[in-house]
Amino acid sequence: MTWELLWKIVFIGVVSLFALLSVLVTILGARDVKRMLKELKSEESEEE
Amino acid sequence: MNEATQEALSRTNFTTIDTVIVAVYLLLSVAIGLMVKRYAGSMANYIGAGRKVGTWLGVATMTGTELGLVTVMYSAQKGFSGGFAAFHIAVIAGVATLFVGLTGFIVGPLRRARVLTIPEFYEKRFNKSIRVIGGIMLVFGGVLNMGLFLKAGSMFIVGVTGLASDGEVLKWVMVGLLVMVLIYTTLGGMISVILTDYVQFVVLSFGLLVATGMAVSKLGWSKIFETVHTELGDAGFNPTIEGTGFGWSYILWMLVTAGLIGSAVWPTAVSRALAMRSEKALKQQYCWSSISFAVRFLIPYFWGICALVFISATPEGADLKALFFPPEGSTQEGLNNLYAMPVFIGRILPPVLIGIITAGMIAAFMSTHDSYFLCWSSVITQDIVAPLRKKPFSTKSRVKLTRIVIILMGGYVLYWSLFYKGGEDIWDYMAVTGGIYFTGAFVVLMLGVYWKKMSSFGALLGLLAGFLMVVGLEPVQKAVGLKVESSPGEWTEVLTSPQIGLITVGISLVLSVLGSLMRPDKAKGKEEGNLAV
Repeated sequence: MTWELLWKIVFIGVVSLFALLSVLVTILGARDVKRMLKELKSEESEEE
Repeated sequence: MNEATQEALSRTNFTTIDTVIVAVYLLLSVAIGLMVKRYAGSMANYIGAGRKVGTWLGVATMTGTELGLVTVMYSAQKGFSGGFAAFHIAVIAGVATLFVGLTGFIVGPLRRARVLTIPEFYEKRFNKSIRVIGGIMLVFGGVLNMGLFLKAGSMFIVGVTGLASDGEVLKWVMVGLLVMVLIYTTLGGMISVILTDYVQFVVLSFGLLVATGMAVSKLGWSKIFETVHTELGDAGFNPTIEGTGFGWSYILWMLVTAGLIGSAVWPTAVSRALAMRSEKALKQQYCWSSISFAVRFLIPYFWGICALVFISATPEGADLKALFFPPEGSTQEGLNNLYAMPVFIGRILPPVLIGIITAGMIAAFMSTHDSYFLCWSSVITQDIVAPLRKKPFSTKSRVKLTRIVIILMGGYVLYWSLFYKGGEDIWDYMAVTGGIYFTGAFVVLMLGVYWKKMSSFGALLGLLAGFLMVVGLEPVQKAVGLKVESSPGEWTEVLTSPQIGLITVGISLVLSVLGSLMRPDKAKGKEEGNLAV
Protein backbone atom coordinates (compact mmCIF):
# COMPACT_ATOMS: atom_id res chain seq x y z
CA MET A 1 0.00 0.00 0.00
CA THR A 2 1.35 3.44 -0.90
CA TRP A 3 1.23 6.46 1.43
CA GLU A 4 -1.11 8.19 -1.00
CA LEU A 5 -3.63 5.35 -0.93
CA LEU A 6 -3.38 5.15 2.87
CA TRP A 7 -4.19 8.86 3.28
CA LYS A 8 -7.09 8.60 0.82
CA ILE A 9 -8.60 5.77 2.87
CA VAL A 10 -7.97 7.62 6.16
CA PHE A 11 -9.50 10.83 4.85
CA ILE A 12 -12.66 9.25 3.44
CA GLY A 13 -13.10 6.97 6.46
CA VAL A 14 -12.63 9.65 9.13
CA VAL A 15 -14.75 12.28 7.36
CA SER A 16 -17.59 9.74 6.88
CA LEU A 17 -17.46 8.80 10.56
CA PHE A 18 -17.50 12.49 11.49
CA ALA A 19 -20.61 13.04 9.36
CA LEU A 20 -22.34 10.25 11.28
CA LEU A 21 -21.12 11.65 14.61
CA SER A 22 -22.40 15.13 13.71
CA VAL A 23 -25.93 13.81 13.18
CA LEU A 24 -25.86 11.76 16.40
CA VAL A 25 -24.49 14.59 18.54
CA THR A 26 -26.92 17.13 17.11
CA ILE A 27 -29.95 14.98 17.94
CA LEU A 28 -28.87 13.20 21.13
CA GLY A 29 -26.92 16.20 22.45
CA ALA A 30 -30.12 18.27 22.42
CA ARG A 31 -31.69 15.60 24.63
CA ASP A 32 -28.74 15.83 27.05
CA VAL A 33 -29.05 19.63 27.15
CA LYS A 34 -32.72 19.36 28.11
CA ARG A 35 -31.96 16.79 30.81
CA MET A 36 -29.10 18.83 32.29
CA LEU A 37 -31.14 22.01 32.46
CA LYS A 38 -34.10 20.12 33.96
CA GLU A 39 -31.88 18.69 36.71
CA LEU A 40 -30.26 22.05 37.44
CA LYS A 41 -33.69 23.63 37.59
CA SER A 42 -35.06 21.03 40.00
CA GLU A 43 -31.96 21.44 42.20
CA GLU A 44 -32.56 25.16 42.22
CA SER A 45 -36.21 24.69 43.28
CA GLU A 46 -35.15 22.30 46.08
CA GLU A 47 -32.68 24.87 47.41
CA GLU A 48 -35.42 27.51 47.45
CA MET B 1 1.05 44.85 5.03
CA ASN B 2 1.67 46.36 1.58
CA GLU B 3 -0.95 47.52 -0.93
CA ALA B 4 -0.71 44.48 -3.23
CA THR B 5 -1.21 42.12 -0.31
CA GLN B 6 -4.10 44.15 1.02
CA GLU B 7 -5.71 44.14 -2.41
CA ALA B 8 -5.31 40.36 -2.78
CA LEU B 9 -6.76 39.74 0.68
CA SER B 10 -9.75 42.01 0.01
CA ARG B 11 -10.95 39.79 -2.86
CA THR B 12 -13.30 37.74 -0.71
CA ASN B 13 -16.90 36.57 -1.04
CA PHE B 14 -17.68 37.76 2.49
CA THR B 15 -20.66 40.16 2.31
CA THR B 16 -23.02 42.10 4.60
CA ILE B 17 -25.35 39.12 4.99
CA ASP B 18 -22.38 37.15 6.33
CA THR B 19 -21.68 39.89 8.87
CA VAL B 20 -25.32 39.61 10.01
CA ILE B 21 -25.02 35.82 10.38
CA VAL B 22 -21.90 36.23 12.51
CA ALA B 23 -23.50 38.98 14.65
CA VAL B 24 -26.65 36.91 15.31
CA TYR B 25 -24.54 33.96 16.35
CA LEU B 26 -22.48 36.04 18.75
CA LEU B 27 -25.54 37.59 20.36
CA LEU B 28 -27.00 34.11 20.81
CA SER B 29 -23.87 33.10 22.76
CA VAL B 30 -24.22 36.04 25.13
CA ALA B 31 -27.93 35.34 25.56
CA ILE B 32 -27.11 31.76 26.64
CA GLY B 33 -24.73 33.11 29.28
CA LEU B 34 -27.42 35.37 30.65
CA MET B 35 -30.04 32.61 30.62
CA VAL B 36 -28.05 30.08 32.64
CA LYS B 37 -26.49 32.54 35.11
CA ARG B 38 -28.93 31.53 37.85
CA TYR B 39 -27.61 27.92 37.89
CA ALA B 40 -23.97 28.94 38.42
CA GLY B 41 -24.17 29.45 42.18
CA SER B 42 -21.96 26.62 43.48
CA MET B 43 -18.33 25.86 42.54
CA ALA B 44 -19.33 22.36 41.31
CA ASN B 45 -21.88 23.96 38.98
CA TYR B 46 -19.68 26.90 38.03
CA ILE B 47 -16.59 24.94 37.03
CA GLY B 48 -18.02 21.44 36.52
CA ALA B 49 -21.63 21.97 35.37
CA GLY B 50 -22.74 20.06 38.47
CA ARG B 51 -21.27 16.86 36.89
CA LYS B 52 -24.52 16.47 34.94
CA VAL B 53 -23.16 16.25 31.40
CA GLY B 54 -24.43 13.29 29.36
CA THR B 55 -22.36 11.38 26.77
CA TRP B 56 -23.49 13.22 23.62
CA LEU B 57 -23.33 16.65 25.13
CA GLY B 58 -19.91 15.61 26.46
CA VAL B 59 -18.75 14.78 22.93
CA ALA B 60 -20.02 18.17 21.71
CA THR B 61 -18.28 20.11 24.45
CA MET B 62 -15.03 18.13 24.16
CA THR B 63 -15.01 18.82 20.42
CA GLY B 64 -16.01 22.46 20.93
CA THR B 65 -13.11 22.99 23.28
CA GLU B 66 -10.43 21.18 21.38
CA LEU B 67 -11.48 22.29 17.89
CA GLY B 68 -10.34 25.86 18.43
CA LEU B 69 -9.61 28.41 15.75
CA VAL B 70 -5.96 28.40 16.74
CA THR B 71 -5.84 24.63 16.09
CA VAL B 72 -7.53 25.09 12.73
CA MET B 73 -5.07 27.83 11.76
CA TYR B 74 -1.87 25.98 12.67
CA SER B 75 -3.14 22.70 11.31
CA ALA B 76 -3.98 24.35 8.00
CA GLN B 77 -0.47 25.81 7.99
CA LYS B 78 0.95 22.32 8.59
CA GLY B 79 -1.10 20.94 5.70
CA PHE B 80 0.02 23.83 3.50
CA SER B 81 3.69 23.22 4.18
CA GLY B 82 3.74 19.46 4.88
CA GLY B 83 0.99 18.12 2.62
CA PHE B 84 -0.69 14.79 3.33
CA ALA B 85 2.28 13.67 5.46
CA ALA B 86 0.75 15.80 8.25
CA PHE B 87 -2.21 13.37 8.35
CA HIS B 88 -0.17 11.08 10.63
CA ILE B 89 -0.81 13.56 13.47
CA ALA B 90 -4.58 13.26 13.00
CA VAL B 91 -4.34 9.47 13.03
CA ILE B 92 -2.23 9.52 16.20
CA ALA B 93 -4.68 11.92 17.92
CA GLY B 94 -7.69 9.76 17.02
CA VAL B 95 -6.12 6.45 18.00
CA ALA B 96 -4.72 7.82 21.29
CA THR B 97 -8.12 9.26 22.26
CA LEU B 98 -9.78 5.95 21.44
CA PHE B 99 -7.18 4.23 23.64
CA VAL B 100 -8.03 6.62 26.50
CA GLY B 101 -11.74 5.94 25.93
CA LEU B 102 -11.33 2.17 25.96
CA THR B 103 -8.98 2.02 28.96
CA GLY B 104 -9.85 5.18 30.92
CA PHE B 105 -6.09 5.94 30.92
CA ILE B 106 -5.49 8.63 33.61
CA VAL B 107 -8.92 10.29 33.22
CA GLY B 108 -10.87 7.29 34.59
CA PRO B 109 -9.08 7.29 37.96
CA LEU B 110 -9.30 11.11 38.07
CA ARG B 111 -13.08 10.98 37.60
CA ARG B 112 -13.30 8.24 40.26
CA ALA B 113 -11.37 10.47 42.67
CA ARG B 114 -14.17 13.06 42.17
CA VAL B 115 -11.75 15.95 41.74
CA LEU B 116 -12.60 19.09 39.77
CA THR B 117 -9.06 19.99 38.70
CA ILE B 118 -5.75 18.16 38.15
CA PRO B 119 -3.95 19.95 41.05
CA GLU B 120 -6.78 18.84 43.35
CA PHE B 121 -5.73 15.30 42.48
CA TYR B 122 -2.15 16.20 43.40
CA GLU B 123 -3.30 17.10 46.90
CA LYS B 124 -5.38 13.97 47.32
CA ARG B 125 -2.53 11.80 46.05
CA PHE B 126 0.46 13.71 47.46
CA ASN B 127 0.05 16.84 49.59
CA LYS B 128 -1.07 20.46 49.58
CA SER B 129 2.35 21.83 48.51
CA ILE B 130 2.35 19.71 45.36
CA ARG B 131 -1.15 20.96 44.61
CA VAL B 132 -0.02 24.58 44.86
CA ILE B 133 3.22 24.04 42.89
CA GLY B 134 1.38 21.98 40.27
CA GLY B 135 -1.27 24.68 40.05
CA ILE B 136 1.29 27.44 39.60
CA MET B 137 3.10 25.54 36.84
CA LEU B 138 -0.17 24.73 35.13
CA VAL B 139 -1.29 28.34 35.17
CA PHE B 140 2.15 29.66 34.19
CA GLY B 141 2.42 27.41 31.12
CA GLY B 142 -1.28 27.61 30.29
CA VAL B 143 -1.76 31.36 30.49
CA LEU B 144 1.42 32.02 28.50
CA ASN B 145 0.24 29.40 26.02
CA MET B 146 -2.98 31.25 25.21
CA GLY B 147 -1.25 34.62 24.92
CA LEU B 148 -1.20 34.59 21.14
CA PHE B 149 -4.62 33.00 20.46
CA LEU B 150 -6.21 36.37 19.79
CA LYS B 151 -3.50 37.14 17.24
CA ALA B 152 -4.19 33.88 15.37
CA GLY B 153 -7.92 34.61 15.47
CA SER B 154 -7.34 38.04 14.00
CA MET B 155 -5.34 36.55 11.12
CA PHE B 156 -8.27 34.30 10.26
CA ILE B 157 -10.71 37.22 10.32
CA VAL B 158 -8.38 39.31 8.14
CA GLY B 159 -8.00 36.46 5.65
CA VAL B 160 -11.69 35.61 5.36
CA THR B 161 -13.32 39.03 5.61
CA GLY B 162 -10.64 41.13 3.94
CA LEU B 163 -10.52 43.57 6.87
CA ALA B 164 -7.39 45.71 6.99
CA SER B 165 -5.03 43.96 9.40
CA ASP B 166 -3.40 47.16 10.58
CA GLY B 167 -6.58 49.24 10.80
CA GLU B 168 -8.53 50.24 13.90
CA VAL B 169 -11.56 48.10 12.94
CA LEU B 170 -9.81 44.83 13.53
CA LYS B 171 -8.66 45.89 16.99
CA TRP B 172 -12.22 46.77 17.93
CA VAL B 173 -13.47 43.45 16.52
CA MET B 174 -10.97 41.67 18.76
CA VAL B 175 -11.99 43.72 21.79
CA GLY B 176 -15.68 43.06 21.06
CA LEU B 177 -15.17 39.30 20.73
CA LEU B 178 -13.19 39.16 23.93
CA VAL B 179 -15.78 41.16 25.84
CA MET B 180 -18.54 38.79 24.69
CA VAL B 181 -16.53 35.74 25.80
CA LEU B 182 -15.90 37.40 29.16
CA ILE B 183 -19.59 38.19 29.65
CA TYR B 184 -20.97 34.72 29.09
CA THR B 185 -18.08 32.92 30.79
CA THR B 186 -18.08 35.03 33.94
CA LEU B 187 -21.87 34.86 34.19
CA GLY B 188 -22.68 31.27 33.36
CA GLY B 189 -19.39 29.42 34.06
CA MET B 190 -19.12 25.86 32.75
CA ILE B 191 -22.86 25.56 32.08
CA SER B 192 -22.87 28.37 29.52
CA VAL B 193 -19.53 27.18 28.13
CA ILE B 194 -20.99 23.71 27.53
CA LEU B 195 -24.17 25.04 25.94
CA THR B 196 -22.26 27.35 23.60
CA ASP B 197 -19.95 24.43 22.78
CA TYR B 198 -23.02 22.43 21.72
CA VAL B 199 -24.26 25.22 19.42
CA GLN B 200 -20.73 25.55 18.06
CA PHE B 201 -20.52 21.82 17.36
CA VAL B 202 -23.74 21.88 15.36
CA VAL B 203 -22.77 24.97 13.33
CA LEU B 204 -19.13 24.04 12.80
CA SER B 205 -19.44 20.32 12.09
CA PHE B 206 -21.87 20.84 9.23
CA GLY B 207 -19.89 23.85 8.04
CA LEU B 208 -16.65 21.83 8.01
CA LEU B 209 -18.21 19.02 6.02
CA VAL B 210 -19.90 21.27 3.46
CA ALA B 211 -16.79 23.43 2.98
CA THR B 212 -14.63 20.32 2.55
CA GLY B 213 -17.04 18.99 -0.08
CA MET B 214 -16.96 22.32 -1.91
CA ALA B 215 -13.16 22.43 -1.82
CA VAL B 216 -12.96 18.97 -3.41
CA SER B 217 -15.58 19.84 -6.02
CA LYS B 218 -13.83 23.13 -6.86
CA LEU B 219 -10.29 21.74 -7.17
CA GLY B 220 -10.90 18.13 -8.21
CA TRP B 221 -9.96 15.07 -6.14
CA SER B 222 -7.17 13.86 -8.46
CA LYS B 223 -5.73 17.32 -9.01
CA ILE B 224 -5.25 17.80 -5.27
CA PHE B 225 -3.02 14.73 -5.05
CA GLU B 226 -1.20 15.45 -8.33
CA THR B 227 -0.34 19.00 -7.21
CA VAL B 228 1.00 17.81 -3.86
CA HIS B 229 3.22 15.35 -5.78
CA THR B 230 4.46 18.20 -7.99
CA GLU B 231 4.97 20.76 -5.24
CA LEU B 232 6.21 18.63 -2.33
CA GLY B 233 7.27 15.29 -3.87
CA ASP B 234 7.40 12.18 -1.64
CA ALA B 235 7.77 14.36 1.44
CA GLY B 236 4.19 15.50 0.87
CA PHE B 237 2.99 11.97 1.68
CA ASN B 238 5.63 10.14 3.70
CA PRO B 239 6.02 11.50 7.28
CA THR B 240 9.04 9.33 8.09
CA ILE B 241 11.39 11.26 5.78
CA GLU B 242 13.87 13.18 7.95
CA GLY B 243 14.76 16.82 7.32
CA THR B 244 11.34 17.77 5.95
CA GLY B 245 9.82 19.04 9.17
CA PHE B 246 8.67 15.55 10.24
CA GLY B 247 10.67 12.32 10.78
CA TRP B 248 10.63 9.65 13.50
CA SER B 249 11.41 11.90 16.48
CA TYR B 250 8.60 14.23 15.38
CA ILE B 251 6.17 11.30 15.10
CA LEU B 252 7.14 10.10 18.58
CA TRP B 253 6.73 13.64 19.97
CA MET B 254 3.27 13.82 18.38
CA LEU B 255 2.37 10.49 19.98
CA VAL B 256 3.07 12.12 23.35
CA THR B 257 1.62 15.60 22.69
CA ALA B 258 -1.18 15.35 20.12
CA GLY B 259 -1.93 11.82 21.34
CA LEU B 260 -1.81 11.06 25.05
CA ILE B 261 -1.33 14.56 26.45
CA GLY B 262 -3.92 16.19 24.19
CA SER B 263 -6.60 13.79 25.34
CA ALA B 264 -5.65 12.69 28.86
CA VAL B 265 -3.49 15.42 30.41
CA TRP B 266 -4.33 18.77 28.83
CA PRO B 267 -6.43 20.51 31.52
CA THR B 268 -9.23 21.82 29.29
CA ALA B 269 -9.93 18.32 27.94
CA VAL B 270 -9.63 16.79 31.41
CA SER B 271 -12.02 19.38 32.87
CA ARG B 272 -14.64 18.16 30.38
CA ALA B 273 -13.99 14.58 31.47
CA LEU B 274 -14.40 15.53 35.12
CA ALA B 275 -17.75 17.19 34.40
CA MET B 276 -19.21 13.92 33.09
CA ARG B 277 -22.12 12.21 34.76
CA SER B 278 -20.24 8.93 35.34
CA GLU B 279 -17.03 7.09 34.44
CA LYS B 280 -18.97 5.05 31.90
CA ALA B 281 -20.24 8.24 30.23
CA LEU B 282 -16.67 9.58 30.29
CA LYS B 283 -15.31 6.53 28.46
CA GLN B 284 -18.10 6.73 25.88
CA GLN B 285 -17.36 10.43 25.50
CA TYR B 286 -13.70 9.68 24.72
CA CYS B 287 -14.48 6.79 22.33
CA TRP B 288 -16.81 8.97 20.24
CA SER B 289 -14.61 12.05 20.60
CA SER B 290 -11.72 10.10 19.04
CA ILE B 291 -13.37 10.84 15.69
CA SER B 292 -13.49 14.58 16.32
CA PHE B 293 -9.96 14.54 17.81
CA ALA B 294 -8.80 13.17 14.44
CA VAL B 295 -11.03 15.51 12.44
CA ARG B 296 -9.88 18.65 14.26
CA PHE B 297 -6.51 18.08 12.61
CA LEU B 298 -7.49 16.20 9.47
CA ILE B 299 -9.94 18.68 7.92
CA PRO B 300 -7.78 21.78 8.58
CA TYR B 301 -4.76 19.92 7.12
CA PHE B 302 -6.86 19.17 4.08
CA TRP B 303 -7.94 22.81 3.80
CA GLY B 304 -4.28 23.85 4.01
CA ILE B 305 -3.44 21.35 1.26
CA CYS B 306 -6.34 22.69 -0.84
CA ALA B 307 -5.06 26.24 -0.28
CA LEU B 308 -1.66 25.14 -1.62
CA VAL B 309 -3.31 23.61 -4.70
CA PHE B 310 -5.51 26.70 -5.19
CA ILE B 311 -2.55 29.07 -5.02
CA SER B 312 -0.06 27.05 -7.03
CA ALA B 313 -2.23 25.34 -9.65
CA THR B 314 -5.41 27.30 -10.41
CA PRO B 315 -5.94 30.50 -12.43
CA GLU B 316 -8.17 31.97 -9.65
CA GLY B 317 -5.35 31.76 -7.15
CA ALA B 318 -2.56 32.82 -9.51
CA ASP B 319 -2.38 36.36 -8.08
CA LEU B 320 -1.55 34.88 -4.67
CA LYS B 321 1.39 32.79 -5.83
CA ALA B 322 3.90 35.65 -5.90
CA LEU B 323 2.70 36.81 -2.48
CA PHE B 324 3.19 33.46 -0.75
CA PHE B 325 6.15 32.29 -2.86
CA PRO B 326 8.14 35.38 -3.95
CA PRO B 327 10.32 34.62 -6.99
CA GLU B 328 14.02 34.05 -6.38
CA GLY B 329 15.94 37.30 -6.17
CA SER B 330 12.88 39.24 -5.03
CA THR B 331 13.46 41.57 -2.08
CA GLN B 332 9.87 41.13 -0.92
CA GLU B 333 9.26 38.80 2.02
CA GLY B 334 6.68 36.03 1.48
CA LEU B 335 3.26 36.48 3.09
CA ASN B 336 2.86 34.46 6.30
CA ASN B 337 1.41 31.12 5.16
CA LEU B 338 -1.06 31.20 8.07
CA TYR B 339 -3.11 33.44 5.79
CA ALA B 340 -3.31 30.81 3.01
CA MET B 341 -6.28 28.82 4.35
CA PRO B 342 -8.55 31.76 5.31
CA VAL B 343 -7.85 33.48 1.98
CA PHE B 344 -8.69 30.25 0.15
CA ILE B 345 -11.92 29.81 2.16
CA GLY B 346 -12.82 33.47 1.55
CA ARG B 347 -12.51 32.97 -2.19
CA ILE B 348 -14.16 29.61 -2.84
CA LEU B 349 -17.17 29.64 -0.52
CA PRO B 350 -20.31 31.52 -1.58
CA PRO B 351 -21.95 34.20 0.58
CA VAL B 352 -24.12 32.81 3.43
CA LEU B 353 -22.02 29.64 3.62
CA ILE B 354 -18.95 31.75 4.27
CA GLY B 355 -20.93 33.56 6.98
CA ILE B 356 -21.86 30.24 8.60
CA ILE B 357 -18.27 28.98 8.44
CA THR B 358 -16.94 32.26 9.84
CA ALA B 359 -19.53 32.19 12.64
CA GLY B 360 -18.48 28.60 13.38
CA MET B 361 -14.81 29.54 13.38
CA ILE B 362 -15.36 32.57 15.59
CA ALA B 363 -17.39 30.27 17.82
CA ALA B 364 -14.38 27.94 17.91
CA PHE B 365 -12.20 30.91 18.75
CA MET B 366 -14.55 31.95 21.55
CA SER B 367 -15.02 28.46 22.92
CA THR B 368 -11.28 27.94 23.26
CA HIS B 369 -10.99 31.23 25.08
CA ASP B 370 -13.91 30.56 27.42
CA SER B 371 -12.63 27.08 28.29
CA TYR B 372 -9.11 28.31 28.90
CA PHE B 373 -10.29 31.28 30.94
CA LEU B 374 -12.49 29.06 33.08
CA CYS B 375 -9.88 26.34 33.44
CA TRP B 376 -6.93 28.50 34.46
CA SER B 377 -9.02 30.82 36.66
CA SER B 378 -10.56 27.91 38.54
CA VAL B 379 -7.07 26.47 39.12
CA ILE B 380 -5.93 29.84 40.52
CA THR B 381 -8.94 29.98 42.86
CA GLN B 382 -9.22 26.33 43.86
CA ASP B 383 -5.63 25.17 43.76
CA ILE B 384 -3.48 28.19 44.56
CA VAL B 385 -5.45 30.79 46.52
CA ALA B 386 -7.81 28.52 48.49
CA PRO B 387 -5.13 26.11 49.83
CA LEU B 388 -2.89 29.04 50.84
CA ARG B 389 -5.66 30.88 52.73
CA LYS B 390 -5.85 30.29 56.43
CA LYS B 391 -9.42 31.59 56.77
CA PRO B 392 -12.43 29.70 55.35
CA PHE B 393 -13.14 30.54 51.72
CA SER B 394 -16.86 30.66 51.00
CA THR B 395 -18.39 29.43 47.74
CA LYS B 396 -19.63 32.91 46.93
CA SER B 397 -16.12 34.36 47.36
CA ARG B 398 -14.61 31.58 45.24
CA VAL B 399 -17.02 32.20 42.35
CA LYS B 400 -16.41 35.94 42.69
CA LEU B 401 -12.62 35.52 42.65
CA THR B 402 -12.83 33.17 39.66
CA ARG B 403 -14.82 35.82 37.78
CA ILE B 404 -12.29 38.53 38.65
CA VAL B 405 -9.39 36.33 37.50
CA ILE B 406 -11.20 35.64 34.20
CA ILE B 407 -11.49 39.38 33.56
CA LEU B 408 -7.80 39.93 34.43
CA MET B 409 -6.80 37.17 32.05
CA GLY B 410 -8.93 38.79 29.36
CA GLY B 411 -6.91 41.97 29.84
CA TYR B 412 -3.66 40.04 29.58
CA VAL B 413 -4.72 38.27 26.37
CA LEU B 414 -5.77 41.55 24.81
CA TYR B 415 -2.51 43.22 25.77
CA TRP B 416 -0.39 40.32 24.58
CA SER B 417 -2.15 40.00 21.23
CA LEU B 418 -2.44 43.67 20.34
CA PHE B 419 0.77 45.07 21.72
CA TYR B 420 3.28 42.22 22.07
CA LYS B 421 5.82 42.38 19.25
CA GLY B 422 7.74 39.17 19.83
CA GLY B 423 9.33 37.63 16.76
CA GLU B 424 8.96 33.92 17.57
CA ASP B 425 7.06 31.48 15.42
CA ILE B 426 3.69 31.20 17.18
CA TRP B 427 3.52 27.42 16.99
CA ASP B 428 6.96 27.01 18.60
CA TYR B 429 5.98 29.51 21.25
CA MET B 430 2.84 27.52 22.04
CA ALA B 431 4.55 24.13 22.06
CA VAL B 432 7.24 25.36 24.44
CA THR B 433 4.93 27.23 26.83
CA GLY B 434 2.45 24.32 26.92
CA GLY B 435 5.36 21.91 27.39
CA ILE B 436 6.45 23.67 30.60
CA TYR B 437 3.29 22.30 32.14
CA PHE B 438 2.52 19.09 30.32
CA THR B 439 5.92 17.38 30.15
CA GLY B 440 6.11 17.21 33.96
CA ALA B 441 2.37 16.79 34.53
CA PHE B 442 2.17 13.84 32.12
CA VAL B 443 4.77 11.92 34.10
CA VAL B 444 3.45 12.93 37.54
CA LEU B 445 -0.16 12.11 36.67
CA MET B 446 0.73 8.82 35.02
CA LEU B 447 2.98 7.64 37.85
CA GLY B 448 0.68 9.16 40.49
CA VAL B 449 -2.23 7.15 39.15
CA TYR B 450 -0.51 3.88 38.31
CA TRP B 451 2.55 3.58 40.58
CA LYS B 452 1.91 3.24 44.29
CA LYS B 453 5.50 4.13 45.25
CA MET B 454 5.35 7.55 43.59
CA SER B 455 6.13 10.03 46.37
CA SER B 456 5.59 13.76 46.89
CA PHE B 457 9.32 14.42 46.45
CA GLY B 458 9.33 12.48 43.17
CA ALA B 459 6.28 14.48 42.04
CA LEU B 460 7.99 17.76 42.91
CA LEU B 461 11.10 16.87 40.89
CA GLY B 462 8.98 15.60 38.00
CA LEU B 463 6.94 18.80 37.83
CA LEU B 464 9.95 21.10 38.09
CA ALA B 465 11.69 19.22 35.27
CA GLY B 466 9.09 20.77 32.96
CA PHE B 467 10.97 24.08 33.16
CA LEU B 468 13.66 22.48 30.95
CA MET B 469 11.23 23.03 28.06
CA VAL B 470 12.22 26.69 28.11
CA VAL B 471 15.34 25.51 26.28
CA GLY B 472 13.03 24.90 23.32
CA LEU B 473 12.52 28.65 22.84
CA GLU B 474 14.56 29.92 19.94
CA PRO B 475 16.43 32.75 21.75
CA VAL B 476 17.39 30.33 24.55
CA GLN B 477 18.46 27.69 22.01
CA LYS B 478 20.75 30.24 20.40
CA ALA B 479 22.07 31.43 23.77
CA VAL B 480 23.01 27.94 24.96
CA GLY B 481 24.41 26.83 21.61
CA LEU B 482 21.66 24.41 20.61
CA LYS B 483 21.05 26.45 17.47
CA VAL B 484 24.18 27.60 15.69
CA GLU B 485 24.74 29.79 12.66
CA SER B 486 26.43 27.45 10.20
CA SER B 487 26.73 30.18 7.54
CA PRO B 488 25.42 33.78 7.44
CA GLY B 489 21.63 33.61 7.77
CA GLU B 490 21.64 29.77 7.91
CA TRP B 491 20.87 28.22 11.30
CA THR B 492 21.37 24.59 12.22
CA GLU B 493 19.59 23.00 15.18
CA VAL B 494 21.68 20.69 17.34
CA LEU B 495 18.45 19.49 18.93
CA THR B 496 14.99 20.11 17.49
CA SER B 497 12.05 21.18 19.68
CA PRO B 498 10.48 17.68 19.51
CA GLN B 499 13.78 16.17 20.64
CA ILE B 500 14.01 18.66 23.53
CA GLY B 501 10.42 17.78 24.46
CA LEU B 502 11.11 14.04 24.47
CA ILE B 503 14.29 14.54 26.51
CA THR B 504 12.35 16.67 29.02
CA VAL B 505 9.72 13.94 29.43
CA GLY B 506 12.54 11.41 29.89
CA ILE B 507 14.30 13.55 32.52
CA SER B 508 11.01 14.13 34.35
CA LEU B 509 10.40 10.38 34.38
CA VAL B 510 13.88 9.57 35.71
CA LEU B 511 13.75 12.31 38.37
CA SER B 512 10.27 11.25 39.50
CA VAL B 513 11.31 7.62 39.91
CA LEU B 514 14.64 8.41 41.59
CA GLY B 515 13.03 11.01 43.88
CA SER B 516 10.31 8.56 44.89
CA LEU B 517 12.80 5.82 45.66
CA MET B 518 15.15 8.15 47.54
CA ARG B 519 12.47 9.90 49.60
CA PRO B 520 9.32 7.77 49.81
CA ASP B 521 6.20 9.13 51.49
CA LYS B 522 5.12 7.80 54.85
CA ALA B 523 2.52 5.05 54.35
CA LYS B 524 -0.98 6.49 54.23
CA GLY B 525 -3.63 5.18 56.58
CA LYS B 526 -6.68 3.32 55.40
CA GLU B 527 -8.88 6.38 55.73
CA GLU B 528 -6.73 8.46 53.40
CA GLY B 529 -6.12 5.57 51.02
CA ASN B 530 -3.74 5.63 48.09
CA LEU B 531 -5.30 6.82 44.85
CA ALA B 532 -2.86 4.86 42.73
CA VAL B 533 -4.59 1.91 41.05
